[in-house]
Amino acid sequence: MKKLIYLALLLIIVYSVSLTGCGNSTEKTTGVKTKAKELTFSWNKDIGDLNPHNYSAQMFAQGLVYEPLVTYAEGGKIEPCLAEKWDTSPDGREITFTLRKGVNFSDGTEFNAAAAKQNFDAVLANAQRHEWLELINQIEKTEVSGDYTLKVYFKNAYYPALQEFALIRPIRFLAPTGFPENGQTSEAIKKPIGTGPWVLSEYKKDEYAVFTRNENYWGTKPKLEKVIVKIIPDGETRVIAFEKGELDLIFGSGVISLDSFKQLKESGKYETKNSGPLSTRVIAMNSNKGATKDLPVRQAIQHGINKQAVINGIFYGTEEKADTLFSSNLPYCDLKLKPYDYNLEKAASLLDNAGWKQADGKEFREKNGQALELELCFDSTDNIQKSAAEAMQGDLKKLGINLKLIAEESQAYNQRQKDGNFNLIFSETWGVPYDPHSLCSSMRKPSHADYQAQSGLSMKPEIDKKIEEVLLSTDEKTRQELYTYILKTLHEQAVYLPISYRTNMAVYHKNLSGFKFLSTQYDVPLTDIDIK
Amino acid sequence: MKKYIFRRLLNIIPVLLGISVITFGLIHMVPCDPAEVYLRLSQIPPTDEAVALVRSELGLDRPLYIQYFDWLWKVFHLDFGKSFVTRQPVLPSVLYYIPATIQLTACSLLLMFLISIPLGIWAALYKDSLLDQFSRILAFIGASMPSFWLGFLLLYVFSLKLDLLPVTGRGTFLHLILPSLTLALGYAATYTRLLRTSMLENLNKDFVLYARVRGIKEKLIIGKHVFKNALLPMITAFGMSLGHLLAGSVIVENIFAWPGVGRYCVFSIFSRDYPVIQCYVCLMAVIFVVCNLLVDIAYVYLDPRIKIGR
Repeated sequence: MKKLIYLALLLIIVYSVSLTGCGNSTEKTTGVKTKAKELTFSWNKDIGDLNPHNYSAQMFAQGLVYEPLVTYAEGGKIEPCLAEKWDTSPDGREITFTLRKGVNFSDGTEFNAAAAKQNFDAVLANAQRHEWLELINQIEKTEVSGDYTLKVYFKNAYYPALQEFALIRPIRFLAPTGFPENGQTSEAIKKPIGTGPWVLSEYKKDEYAVFTRNENYWGTKPKLEKVIVKIIPDGETRVIAFEKGELDLIFGSGVISLDSFKQLKESGKYETKNSGPLSTRVIAMNSNKGATKDLPVRQAIQHGINKQAVINGIFYGTEEKADTLFSSNLPYCDLKLKPYDYNLEKAASLLDNAGWKQADGKEFREKNGQALELELCFDSTDNIQKSAAEAMQGDLKKLGINLKLIAEESQAYNQRQKDGNFNLIFSETWGVPYDPHSLCSSMRKPSHADYQAQSGLSMKPEIDKKIEEVLLSTDEKTRQELYTYILKTLHEQAVYLPISYRTNMAVYHKNLSGFKFLSTQYDVPLTDIDIK
Repeated sequence: MKKYIFRRLLNIIPVLLGISVITFGLIHMVPCDPAEVYLRLSQIPPTDEAVALVRSELGLDRPLYIQYFDWLWKVFHLDFGKSFVTRQPVLPSVLYYIPATIQLTACSLLLMFLISIPLGIWAALYKDSLLDQFSRILAFIGASMPSFWLGFLLLYVFSLKLDLLPVTGRGTFLHLILPSLTLALGYAATYTRLLRTSMLENLNKDFVLYARVRGIKEKLIIGKHVFKNALLPMITAFGMSLGHLLAGSVIVENIFAWPGVGRYCVFSIFSRDYPVIQCYVCLMAVIFVVCNLLVDIAYVYLDPRIKIGR
């Protein structure tokens, strides 16, 4: 027995020490030091299987390896990528893409119309899974009409098709050599081979991934030779790793706390930047439940929240105050709508006129003996939502509204969005390039908080009809008119309380140059970065 | 001894069956429908038709007891199903992460012994000395400081300020030091005090006085007689701690980006990946039960008075 105990102890020692040799011992992955032309940054989750037609991989990583037919540039402008040019038929039901010649996948296989069609077919074979994306529902078939010509036929004229072709998933292009034997990518792929500027060269699940520059890349080659992505789930650890020099760059939205961002910024040792507006943090107000059924109550809430104080106190000024559901820099969204200003008197008068009176000695307003109580639901794991909710609770108390905070874990919170079991709930627009069309499209689906929030509006059927029309419209003027109706109605009905425009943040060491944000939120701008 | 072990092994069967019922039952009692979770994780809108289809595919439309026996049968064949998120078989995924957690736990245990045994013995032998005071302070700190805070402090001092150790990763022996220390310190503090108290109790026993009268060397008395007897309460606590160390390393794994099974499980809990959660709970239950069994066996060995049936 004694021998056994000694043996067990010995095994513990040997095991704990020996396994350390199993990890990657290169300097890059251990993060002790990085060489020139190598950049290390971190992500909070494993990059996943890099299947371009699926959802289990991280979007930024899919964006490094795979490319779209077209890209989304500033202000919603569509620019060529793997497609050199495209022609849309007059009825809008056919787009002919002329593919770029001389593009090879990273393994040397040629990218042509046949390879593109193979990818389309794989995606369409799994259409149910992509039902959330109207583009997939609208594609009827694809056809190869030349080595470098691909025709896409649509069931209806669908104007946002080109924007959605620019998305990171599900339509990006995997090399034929990366397809599994059965040709179906719905479950798995053989190897992640794309045409993009980066090639996955080393990967250890949940530890790190190394991307090497694609030397066969057809476009502007990145200045960096290698990019190492370390998986660090905790934001504070990420900050320490960055300060120590194990990371060169921190990039993304919510990747570190705003306190840490402020501290890094104020230290003056690093470069810190915020992108332009990418999406909107909003609170959806349910027009079909409790006191928020009343328009004056919703309007009073709009006037009763001091958004600027939230932005200064919680976001440290890193985000811009939002007055409308979509930022005016998005297509069709510059409508000059009149913002709801912070005005407690106006808010109180709206409530008084609606019958919600504050009796003497009572803390909260009442109507027909019913106290003005509302529930604000948020994701308990999101500290920003929690802080903003607490600030709102204080603001609304001044108005005599009892705002109860309901913190729940993500799935339960999602369930409430779907069931409409809320008065107010935190939400977010989809961001570029999805906004405004994808979010508007989803407003018609009952499983979305937007649908639930709007379901009490008398003009809801009309809104849904206009959304359907706008997505199928072929005339620019009509489209603008339809969007104007939809967004103006939602604004006037005060269904959304926009808080701020969310941005991406970047912190990097001063030896790094060429950093600039892209117009989309999930692409990491690595192409122009250089290390001095 | 063999009979005792056999009897204890037999006792494990109903315990594990009970655990399997509770695990299965709890998962099915949570308010979210697994079919809806599956659809949401697959990016498929959870329409009524889609939910019905998935419920049928996953067998969720059958009576609960049939689902349970079917699940149990598969578990006996080491088939815990496929992850809702990755669509890969669960068991290989869990097993992929296990070595990192075991490595961390093993190293923490080692540190725990290396700190608590000498410190506990010295604190008892030199009662009320400076060393004893130090061990007391260490116990207070270790017991009261949450591991996430301790982890960050260690990172701040040893990685950022002194630049001695790496912040994250699992590459070399150096990467193992801080997470193991974070995990070990809390336990080491408790064990030091436990051993000290137990040592002091035994030092006052008659057999020690008798041994001294017989002229046996002090080192031998302490090492062979007192220490061995003092180990008993520590072994009991150790049995519980081993399971806790394995299952409770999640915070440390998160802070130090250690790719262990705890982190994987927490991610699965947040995404309601039921097959993974069930597999993890079952695995941890087995580890707990086996640890307790090993402790009981060690107990019988260390204290011959504890005999079966006596």
